[in-house]
Amino acid sequence: MAAPYDGTLEKLDAYRWRIPVASRDDMRVDGIIYASDALIADVVSGGGPQQVANVATLPGIVGASLAMPDIHWGYGFPIGGVAATDVADGGVVSPGGVGYDINCGVRLLASDLPAADVAPACQRLAAHLFADIPVGVGVGGPYAFNRSELRQVLADGARYLLQRGLATEADLAATESGGRLDGAEPGAVSDQAQKRGADQCGTLGGGNHFVEVQRVAEVYDVAAADTLGLAEGRTTIMIHTGSRGLGHQVCQDALKSLRHVPHRYGIALPDRQLVCAPVDSDEGRRYLAAMRAAANFAWANRQLLAMQVRKSLARFFGRGAEELGLRQVYDVAHNVAELETHTIASRRRELCVHRKGATRAFGPGRPELAEPYHSIGQPVLIPGDMGSASYVLLGTDEAMDRTFGSTCHGAGRVWSRKQAVRKASGRRVDQELASAGVYARARGRTSLAEEQPDAYKDVHAVVECVTSAGLSRRVARMTPMAVVKG
Amino acid sequence: MSKHCETFDHTADVGLAADGETLAELFEALAEGLAGVYCPPSSVRPAETRTVAVRAEDIEALTVDFLSDVLAVLEVERFAVAGCRVTDVDETHVAAELSGEPLDRAHHEIGMEVKAVTYHELAIARDAHGWHGRVILDV
Repeated sequence: MAAPYDGTLEKLDAYRWRIPVASRDDMRVDGIIYASDALIADVVSGGGPQQVANVATLPGIVGASLAMPDIHWGYGFPIGGVAATDVADGGVVSPGGVGYDINCGVRLLASDLPAADVAPACQRLAAHLFADIPVGVGVGGPYAFNRSELRQVLADGARYLLQRGLATEADLAATESGGRLDGAEPGAVSDQAQKRGADQCGTLGGGNHFVEVQRVAEVYDVAAADTLGLAEGRTTIMIHTGSRGLGHQVCQDALKSLRHVPHRYGIALPDRQLVCAPVDSDEGRRYLAAMRAAANFAWANRQLLAMQVRKSLARFFGRGAEELGLRQVYDVAHNVAELETHTIASRRRELCVHRKGATRAFGPGRPELAEPYHSIGQPVLIPGDMGSASYVLLGTDEAMDRTFGSTCHGAGRVWSRKQAVRKASGRRVDQELASAGVYARARGRTSLAEEQPDAYKDVHAVVECVTSAGLSRRVARMTPMAVVKG
Repeated sequence: MSKHCETFDHTADVGLAADGETLAELFEALAEGLAGVYCPPSSVRPAETRTVAVRAEDIEALTVDFLSDVLAVLEVERFAVAGCRVTDVDETHVAAELSGEPLDRAHHEIGMEVKAVTYHELAIARDAHGWHGRVILDV
């Protein structure tokens, strides 16, 4: 494990902790960590605060180096890290502030199916989905794209799939950024990255990625839930995955090509994984162009997975996807950097906002949001672990003021994978989950042990923290019924 | 000391700790260790070969770039590795041959997907006993 943090950490209020800018010579701004008393011990022992302080050294950083309550150790930036840099003030973009899995994110589908009717069939449903969805190591998808098609996926994301009949306007309208980031350049994505992704579009992958059938267990805001098409007792399906090998390679390529760039611009860094380039430089523009292409690939990936899920469910229930009322609630990215305009001290500034294991949570009225989200704020999808719950939240004005419109992304890991496997020794995690009414199927021998519920922080405590701190508001909570993992 | 690689724990990820009498053996051990995370080599027959050749400015960058290229062979070609033989090496370049066969889910034990080879706490060192390396993989 990473070493526990032993530097300065001051409590600001019930939900915020500060690493003062003066605590290190090289910090340019404070570090601010959102965490409740219940969560702070795990935050400190996980070593993330050191990385919050490291990020505070980046040129052009504005406000503070932020971390959400699901913060845990990551490469360069912590997972749960948010940092905005001022483009006009030499602000940098860092691949370490996005992560290897570019546009890892979450998609939620709603249905009219009563969860009470689905629950008795969940063991069979888990097996059915597991057979239909490409998961795990060395598995390609049914949608192999040739080079020219792949370039279109990279340029236009999920929108490209519209013309192929694999997406609908309704799907795109319910996707952050419409499922396509402007300014993506397929030519900035290396051949090796394109090869790694060629037949992986429409595959789930391994690790913490999943497809989950859920019950809407509680609705907190009936009007907002109604707007989003969610109702208590109905069935939802959540998909969590990213840009697969293509995105991983784009990040790896960027770390390599940017190796000498900080030196060239006179930037001293405390960690090699924080390599960066000014946003307004050829190197910075090239990374952003490749990152956007990988983000577009990820949106196409989740779109193709959603199509497979729809087909699979239609076959299982013997009714068409429309008859089942299957529709997209929303799709969010939680590993991405975007250029956004924010008002800081009454001045509008163009910022490069890195969200790594953090979700955009724009409040109502932001021009990026179309109706109905323009009125209620951006939906935020928080996946929990297999044993607890997932949440739908909405962005707030307070998030705009305090965190550049950002909130948490999940529960956050507390055990290492090996630790989790050791703690599962002699146990059957699948049977434990089944006795709690959750049927899980996984490809990897140790996947369920690694992803067992206790390996994660308490998602309820994480959501309690971001809602009490005003960064988001609750709409609904979903509990798992069937889970498919890599 | 003969070449050797084992995995260690790192938060959500996996580390490789390898030793070799020579730099060639160290790179072989690291490549075999990485390939073993993806697919344990005991079930793989050395039926075919793939080659990897990398240049970099220092030994750390060379290690990351070499293992990244090995990873690309595993993932792009779905190649299961039985062993690695370094054919030429110094501290700024390495050429190696991977032996193995196409990954076959019916016959091979399947490990886990590796996203990337990282620079975090990367350490390559030499002492009286030989070469030692520690590399953390994002999985």
